[in-house]
Amino acid sequence: MTDLIESGRKGVIRAGLAGALCIALLGGCGGGAQTTDNPVTGVTPPSSYSGPPPATDDVQSFKLNVWDNIQASNRCGGCHNDSTSQTPMFARHDDINLAYEAANTVANLSQPSDSRLVSKVGTGHNCWLSDSQACADIMTTWIEGWAGDAAGGGRQIVLEPPVASAPGSSKSYANATEANFAALVHGPLLTTYCAGCHTSQSPNSQQPYFAEDDVSVAYDAAKPRMALDSPVDSRFVVRLGSEFHNCWDDSCSASAAEMQAAIQAFADTVPLTEINPLLVNSNALRIVDGVVASGGNRYEGAQIALWEFKTGQGATAFDTSGVEPAINLTLSGNYEWFGGWGVTINDGKAQGTTSASKKLHDLIRGTGEYTIEAWVVPANVSQEMARIVSYSAGDDARNFTLQQTLYDYNFLHRSTETSLNGDPALSTPSAAEVLQAALQHVVATYSPVDGRRIYVNGELVTQADPVAGGSLVDWQDTFAFVLGNEVSSSGLWQGTFRLVAMHNRVLTPEQILQNFDVGVGEKFYLLFGIEDIINVPTAYILFEVAQFDSYGYLFTQPHFITLDSTQQPDGIPLQGLRIGINGAEAPVGQSYANMDQTLSYSQFGELGQPLAEIGAVVPLEKGPQDDEFFLTFDLLGQQTYARTDNPPLVITPTDLPPASRFGVRTFDEINATMAAVTTVDPAQTDVDLTYQSLRQSLPTIESPEAFLASHQVAIAQLAIEYCNVLIEDPAMAAAYFPGFDFNQAAAAAFAGANRDLILEPLIDRMMGFGIQTQPDYADVRNELGYVTSDGTRPDNLIDRLLSSGAATRSISKGVCAAVLGSAVTLVQ
Amino acid sequence: MKDRTRKGSLGAGHRTFVAGLTQLFAVGILSAALALPATAGPREQAKRIHDRLAGVPPSASVLDTMEAEVDPFRAGTALDAAFTAMENPNFYNVTLKNFAAPWTNRERSVFVPLNDYIATVVGMIRDDVPFNTLLSADLVYVGNGSLGLPPYSSSNNNHYAEMEQRQIDMMSELSPTAQSAVSGLPSNATAGVMTTRAAAEAFFVAGTNRAMFRFTLLNHMCNDLEQVHDVNLPPDRIRQDVARSPGGDSRLFLNNCIGCHNGMDPLAQAFAYYNFNVDTGSIEYTPGQVQPKYFNNEDNFPFGFRTPDDRWDNYWRAGQNQFLGWDNSLPGSGSGAKSLGDELGNSAAFASCQVRKVFQAVCLRPPQDAADRTQVDQMVMSFTSSGYLMKQVFAETAVYCMGD
Repeated sequence: MTDLIESGRKGVIRAGLAGALCIALLGGCGGGAQTTDNPVTGVTPPSSYSGPPPATDDVQSFKLNVWDNIQASNRCGGCHNDSTSQTPMFARHDDINLAYEAANTVANLSQPSDSRLVSKVGTGHNCWLSDSQACADIMTTWIEGWAGDAAGGGRQIVLEPPVASAPGSSKSYANATEANFAALVHGPLLTTYCAGCHTSQSPNSQQPYFAEDDVSVAYDAAKPRMALDSPVDSRFVVRLGSEFHNCWDDSCSASAAEMQAAIQAFADTVPLTEINPLLVNSNALRIVDGVVASGGNRYEGAQIALWEFKTGQGATAFDTSGVEPAINLTLSGNYEWFGGWGVTINDGKAQGTTSASKKLHDLIRGTGEYTIEAWVVPANVSQEMARIVSYSAGDDARNFTLQQTLYDYNFLHRSTETSLNGDPALSTPSAAEVLQAALQHVVATYSPVDGRRIYVNGELVTQADPVAGGSLVDWQDTFAFVLGNEVSSSGLWQGTFRLVAMHNRVLTPEQILQNFDVGVGEKFYLLFGIEDIINVPTAYILFEVAQFDSYGYLFTQPHFITLDSTQQPDGIPLQGLRIGINGAEAPVGQSYANMDQTLSYSQFGELGQPLAEIGAVVPLEKGPQDDEFFLTFDLLGQQTYARTDNPPLVITPTDLPPASRFGVRTFDEINATMAAVTTVDPAQTDVDLTYQSLRQSLPTIESPEAFLASHQVAIAQLAIEYCNVLIEDPAMAAAYFPGFDFNQAAAAAFAGANRDLILEPLIDRMMGFGIQTQPDYADVRNELGYVTSDGTRPDNLIDRLLSSGAATRSISKGVCAAVLGSAVTLVQ
Repeated sequence: MKDRTRKGSLGAGHRTFVAGLTQLFAVGILSAALALPATAGPREQAKRIHDRLAGVPPSASVLDTMEAEVDPFRAGTALDAAFTAMENPNFYNVTLKNFAAPWTNRERSVFVPLNDYIATVVGMIRDDVPFNTLLSADLVYVGNGSLGLPPYSSSNNNHYAEMEQRQIDMMSELSPTAQSAVSGLPSNATAGVMTTRAAAEAFFVAGTNRAMFRFTLLNHMCNDLEQVHDVNLPPDRIRQDVARSPGGDSRLFLNNCIGCHNGMDPLAQAFAYYNFNVDTGSIEYTPGQVQPKYFNNEDNFPFGFRTPDDRWDNYWRAGQNQFLGWDNSLPGSGSGAKSLGDELGNSAAFASCQVRKVFQAVCLRPPQDAADRTQVDQMVMSFTSSGYLMKQVFAETAVYCMGD
């Protein structure tokens, strides 16, 4: 049942009640902040408050969570105090109760991220960090801490009807060419003015590398920074014209104009993608038109450091836990910001200072237990001893390290029971291959009672720690916290960090599962209007959409919903839902193309009627700020779209090079052939043993080109064995060579015409006769032993063997094997 | 007295070859001749037919018979000669055995012990069992009971190993029996050679059962997944274990992985109840219970497809892979391996694949020009229209490649 709650301008009514609504508030559906524990603020700068005590618990909560963090002179307390009198005086030092009253005018406890305090610092108003988003996140965390006590419940998602907008024609990079980019933008401007920093080879190398010599690399980096439909809104232009970032010609407006003209020229080469008028399509939305669906519900009660990598540029990953001091990490080496929050380490690291890192030492030693939590995407499963999260001093000294070895996570931890290097490590079982090159939630916990544990994707995957729990008395506070490498840069881990958090308590399995279920990254609810198609006011298809990585979007949780609870549609058919992007259906990733549903109010749950469990990944084109999505349907209500199927592949055969028309016999054929032409049973022990030992040395394919000398050697060995058995068996030999006397001395046995008694049976049986494709009978016979009266064949085989003094049977076997192991039997 | 008048001279080239071989005579070996220019008459054609089909040269009397059958001026036909050659046991014990052996293991090695997969292929061809049931029949071939072999076992290969070790003649000693009668599988869970013990041991072991599909595609449809790669099909049935952003880059998935998995996963779902249990050494079938391997690495992409049953759907009936030629009289979906075997076995690609494999085995080359392709097309037509008889394909191919 949808919770609809009226609150000020936005209606807050329970679904099912009468009344036309355009707003729905959904409680606790994946986005609310339900943390009730106070964040750890043990190292906030000390305040010198000596005014009246907090009048209520809520004032006390405000003081602990917010005031203590902002009252210092280098924060809000520098101005919004009772002496400077900058209103509202929510950081005044004289009376915490008055500060509390003032703070209530600029804080929204039901939606902390919507607080005035957050939006002010988020737009750069005296943000104490270089990234105003990081200040906003930290301020949000503080207010959430306060709200955790005050609100007593989770944040609620507000579904507001988006402005109805038809999918517009737009320009897509699918129709743009790299060559035009190179000629019109890359060559004239980017490599000329930006290559001092924005290339991988620059001494001042700075991501993104849109000025890289390699046009493909530059093009990929530049795409999100050029707005083809509105060049003036391109990030390149704004960065020059409004943010005065390294302009040239001493005029930022001129530089911006030049950049805009170049992008315009490039955009002019890209044809408009016109939406197919026959499509049955919803209204269109960009991600930024959606409602934020993430940000809360993580268990953060003992969180002492948090990196969400939201910045998207620069060289700092901010610790936005709100727990001072922030361990802001300096990115160095080869790294890239990852679309949808994250940073990818290619060959670098993100390291904090030892002084800031000391926070971990201090807060963890205080509790004696801790948790490392990370959302990571290992780049591969081939790296070893690759440090993912480490608090260490080099290869030989660490307080803790979570690292990758092939398919395993290893957890090294220094205690009184382990070495100063944290050995022996606790590892996930190798056979389980739990580490995959996919987005994973990995949590490593340590407590003196349970020792070390590793959870992957919410499940405990390690056995009991074989090392007893010890104390952390040996921990050093001079180490540095580092991601993606060892502090000495000798333990590179390649992969992507989406989120890293440190807690100074052991998260329970339930808390770990809770954080896993929340997921990572920024998610939005998009409401695709379909009321005009099905004639149901405020009817939408809702999707949760996130930027999946730098190259794609993830669509999940499709629901049918009406924001006006008086609308109770029923029995509306929906078939073949597809996701459109920038005027055309996405060419790939259409997971809902086979959807077949009937839309009915009776199926409504919290978010409406669920339509599918599966998600869809579709490619990113221009970037999350610019890509415009819509939905299409093969059938929705009464409207249909007749989709044509792609035609079957037509394969045009091509001629192959002429191949040999003959080949050699293969192993079993050779054996069977030898058995057939010698009459020896292939099961005969000597023959069989020889064959089995030679089987894999014989030819395995028929191609003459693949015939090797080693094959011939094996054939010879087998032939000799067959002939040996044939001739040594008196009965068999007598039947095969009728009339030949093997017991005579060699000279007599092979005298004159006697030779034919050996040669003729061999040649006839092995070569056949009357076959034109076989060698000439006389040639073979003469080579083997025929003696003419004029002595033209003095060096035939038999004579040569006779001259060597060989015995009758030996000569016979030699002659036999010469024929049997030759081409006359081998070639087919 | 034997007639030697027809032993022809092979000309200068041959004499050179023979002279060269003299060196090897010193050790009593006549080496191989690899170039034999000659014009083939009926006798040579008959020998080649025999060589290619039986793997061994014909005896003198068989050669005479076959020569007469091949000779256009004498009684009989060349096809008769081919069938005569196939009466040689080595057609079954050597040619067919090695024809099928590579299909039964992942390495596609021919050096594997005789097994029930190979024996069933040999038996089906011997008995003219319609070969389009190869992937669906409740059938397995075993050694005759009188041989005293260890009985067929679903947990070991001893029956066939001993048959091979004793060099039992498969032409005369193989008998058909219902697979369900000896393997313990219900009849409706049998799927021809796919559910033989050898196939299970090779392709249902560990993994995700996609191997059974991929190797069946490779061995019996003559296409690997690269040839059926189509990124345009809906990916709604791709399981959770396929990372959608491998190493953090969804382009890999959207350009590569998706193109095979979108079609393969909904087809391989047919094997959802099968496994090869390495502990018992036998195939495992769990009707109604999807094997755990279908949920391996389910967190790689939680929004992927979770297999609920063994229903399969042939997405390749749409889009470019229609070129595989599916049988329009079949529904293109079903439950379990048997109906999937029907789907595959009655496709044009299956028939064409069998003919092409025979062509390669007999002609020792793939079809290489228009004449070869026309011949293959004709043989496919003949194969599909006259009961999927493999011996006929062997015979027609041997005659086509008997030389001229």
